[in-house]
Formats: sequence, structure tokens, C-alpha cells
Amino acid sequence: MDTNKRTFIDIVWRFIMLLCALSVIFPLLWIVLESLKTNKEFFANVWALPEKPMFENYKKAWESYHLGSTLLNTLYYVGTSLVLGTFLTALSAYTLTRLQFRGRNFIWGSIMLSLFLPGINALVPQYVLMRDLNLTNSLTGLIILDSFGESVFFLMLLGGFMQSLPKEMEESAYIDGASLFQVFMRIILPLSTPGIVTVAIFKFLGLYNAFLGPFIYLSDSSKYTIGVAMYHANQIMQYKADWVTLFAGVTIAMIPTVVIYVIFQRQIAEGATLGGLKG
Amino acid sequence: MAQVGASVPAAPKKVSSLSKRKVQMTLFVVLALGPSYCGYLLFTLYPNIMSAYYSLLEWNGITDPKFVWFDNYVYLFQDPYVWRALGHNLLLMATVPLLTIIPSIFLAYLINVKGYAESNFYKVIYFLPNVLAVIVIALMWSFIYDGSNGMLNAILNLLGIDNNDFYWLGSKRTALWALLPPLIWAGVGFYVVIFMNAMKSIPHSLYEAAILDGATHMTRLRKITIPLISPIVRISTLFLVLGVFKGFEIMLIMTNGGPAGSTEVIGLYMFNMAFGKSSHNYGYASAIGMFLFVVLVVAKLLIDRFSPKDHAEF
Repeated sequence: MDTNKRTFIDIVWRFIMLLCALSVIFPLLWIVLESLKTNKEFFANVWALPEKPMFENYKKAWESYHLGSTLLNTLYYVGTSLVLGTFLTALSAYTLTRLQFRGRNFIWGSIMLSLFLPGINALVPQYVLMRDLNLTNSLTGLIILDSFGESVFFLMLLGGFMQSLPKEMEESAYIDGASLFQVFMRIILPLSTPGIVTVAIFKFLGLYNAFLGPFIYLSDSSKYTIGVAMYHANQIMQYKADWVTLFAGVTIAMIPTVVIYVIFQRQIAEGATLGGLKG
Repeated sequence: MAQVGASVPAAPKKVSSLSKRKVQMTLFVVLALGPSYCGYLLFTLYPNIMSAYYSLLEWNGITDPKFVWFDNYVYLFQDPYVWRALGHNLLLMATVPLLTIIPSIFLAYLINVKGYAESNFYKVIYFLPNVLAVIVIALMWSFIYDGSNGMLNAILNLLGIDNNDFYWLGSKRTALWALLPPLIWAGVGFYVVIFMNAMKSIPHSLYEAAILDGATHMTRLRKITIPLISPIVRISTLFLVLGVFKGFEIMLIMTNGGPAGSTEVIGLYMFNMAFGKSSHNYGYASAIGMFLFVVLVVAKLLIDRFSPKDHAEF
């Protein structure tokens, strides 16, 4: 508001805001900075700048933590769950919000029931179920677990979006003889793109950042996703004291979500408000 | 429910096309909703129901389960580790929401009302931790707290405080408190955005009238902003309380409950009961899970009671 006069106290406020921003950025920059040192430099002085940037640390992290195959695993898990899960969410949202059929209210109600389920108490039976279905220690098993099954937050987000679309286009398509599936693919999906993009971004962040699921279900190190791989790398580090390599690994793990955030910053801030308090 | 169209007499041809559409509709609903709804029933609803049954078993997941009625619950109420973990939960539940919400309101007000040139850039920075993986946040803070090479001790050294490479996560005295900063660090930016958007919907005219009356920023914040966003503040607080109650990933990665159980929280205790290295006590873990479930449902009912009713519902 331009009605405010700038006074001395403004300097204090601005300083506080700057300090908060620094407290976010500084530790992250510290990690990146240390990842470019040698271990000797790191142990000598935590603050000194690297004499020359050691990009070899990244190569070493890449090789010793098997980040190549780990990231391929992550890509397979996140990518497949993302595409499959978003498509299924869109289908469900469309069916539940724009079609009238018997049992709709019952199905919607039973899905809303999950708002009351904290999930944490289902951990053990879910594990037993996955084991009985031979889906443990399998990335595909994780994909099935994460893609099938409604997520109320995304259903509400996308359902709300689809409800606001005009009815006329669908109706004229039916008169022209289009099937429901054609209407969904050719009219609803394109018109819902902004909502679908928001859902997809949040699914990406959720899946990439997921730790507990992959940690419980994946036991072979060849199947680890990036989060689990870095967890075990840190466990091993306690005996090796190879800090700079671990810093490089953490930096690599950080990059994908930061890039997505930089690109989709506005959608993420808006989506957080839309869904954040309904969770 | 009867379709409106069905009661209207129609030409035979039209009826057949109507029923054809009905068949098509049924087929579409089954194909479109079927897979994910079955997945929901199987992977979400069924395990949640089964946990009640599991909680009545003595079972390690491999040998035949033994039905023990409510023994697990009796044991639960006598288990000092459960109460210790709950105590830690309570401490975190009392501090984390408070220390997250208050700075968030303050920062959101500064960004929104003061409108400094750099505010929007700060908003982007504040939110950044919310997109980082829990593993990144937890490892980063473990590095910060490390004794000989951590950033915290290095900063203290710069300030002239030498604390002999004190290892913050290794001491019973400090470990639990050391978990507060990462939990707050990871959450503040999210609530800054939430509160900012809530504050944006407050009409300017209210502030203008207050400015004419000579109200200071502090008065405006206290008398206009906070009362008008208080429903959002209330739900945010309750959601944070719930989140802290069931969350345990940060503890799992940073301390795994140690040293000597000083950072054990109830979710982590349950997790380690079921999946920990030494114990596979599925029955007892499920009983703890059911206990959590009951507490969380009661809390959720409270949220529904206190949440504003202007949410779109369909």
C-alpha cells in the first residue's frame, strides 16, 4: 500500500524479512558450497571457499551411491505413477462430478471417509497385503499402490475445476454422436488442463519426496529410489567420513524439485492454498 | 432415483437410443471409476479396517497369529515407552504449531500490507523448503548439528562461543529441542502463503478507515487482520497439531528415536515395533496404530466443528 510512509521501523522489518530469507537459503547454499570442496578443506575450515570447485565429488557421488540407476528407478516410479495416477484421477473426478448414475453418492461418501483415516494405523496391514500380493520389493508394486486408489485432495481439486466447465460443449458433442470416452478425451481433458497441471505438479512433488513408502517396501539396493539411497548413504558415511561426497549427493537429490519449483512457482503457491487446508 | 426423461412418453426409437446411452454410461462408469475405486477399497479402506483386527493378535507376521483379545491394549497402557513417546509428542505439539503460525502471520502481514519491493521474492524463498524432500531436510539439519564439522557450532565459534564440538543430536538434553528448528523451517513458508492469500481477501476499505483513525500497524494487525483471518489460523493450527502428532519421518532419519529414546515419538515407536530391526510385533504395532487413530478422529471431529463453513462442497 502506498499510503505507508517509509520510516526507520521499516528498516527493521525489512531486516527481519531478509534474515528469514537468509535462514532458508544459507544452509542450502552451505551444502552446495561444501559439496565443491575436498574433505581436507572441509575439515580444516567450514567457512572457507573451495580453492577450486571439485566437480569430481559429483562424479564420485554419482558412482558410489549408484545414482544413475537410482535416478532411473525414481524416474520409473515417479513418472509412471504420475501419468497413470493423474489420468485415473481425472477419469474419477469427471465421473463423480459430471455424470449422474446410481450409487454416485455412496461412492463419493465412501471416498470422503478417508478424510477420517489418518493412514498411519494402516501401515502394517497394508504391508501384509502388499506382501501377500507379491508386490513388496518391487517398484511396480509401489506404482500400483500409489496410482490406484483415490486421493480425496486431488479429486476435490480437479472435481471442483471440472464442475465449473460449461455443459453446452458436452451436450453438442453428444448430439453429434460422440461417446462418453470421446467427450472426456477431446473436451474435458483439454479444458481441464490448468487443473490437471496443478494436480500433476503436486503429485510429482509428493512422489519424488516420498520416503516412508519406498523405505518400507524396497529392500534390494538395486531398487532404491533417491530418498532411500541417500538415507543409506548417510548411514554408511558414519564409518567413512566422506562428507563432501554426501553433500554432493544431497545436492543432486535437491535439484529436480527445485527446478520444478522455479518453473511452476505460481501454480504451486496457488495450489497450496486451494488444497492445503482440506487435506 | 427416477430420471426425469423416463416419465415422459417418447417415441419407440428414442427409448432405444436412451437405453443405449444408459448402457454406454454404465460401461463408462465401471471402466473409468472401477480401477481406482477398487484400488481405494483394497489399499486404503481394507487395511484401515484390518488394523482393528490385527490389534487383537499376537503376531510377528510370519508364524500363525494368536488371538489375544485386548492384551495389546492392556499392555499399551502400561508401557512406559508409549507414555514417554506421547510426552515428546505433546511437547512438539505445543511448540511447533505456535512457532510456525506466529512467524507466518507476521511475515504474511509484512509481505501483504507493507509491500516492499523485495517482498514477492521473499515469498518465493520462504516457500522453498516445502518442495524439498524430507530426506534432504533431515540430512541437511543433521549436518548442521554435527559436532566437529556442523554449521551451528561453526556459527557459535564465530560468535566466540566454543562448546567443545558439542554434538546436538547426541545429547539427551538437546536432541528433542534440536528437532524443533527443522520442523519449523520446513513449514513456515507454507503458512506464509496461506495467510497471505487469506489477508488478500480483506477489503482495503477496512484498513483505510483505520488509517484515518490513526491506527498503527500493530493495532491494525491486532484489530483487523488477525480477527478476520482467525478461522484460517484456527484450522492451520489444528492441522499442524495433527501433523506433528502422526509425523515421524524427520525423527526416523535424524535420530531414529535416540539417544536413549529421547526423541522417540509415538509414530516412530509404532513404526519400529512393526518394521524395526529387532522386533516384528505386528499386533502390538497395530494396537498403537488404533490408539493413534482414535485420537486423530476425535481431533478431526474437533476441526470440523471449528472450521468455517464456506468451503465449496459437492
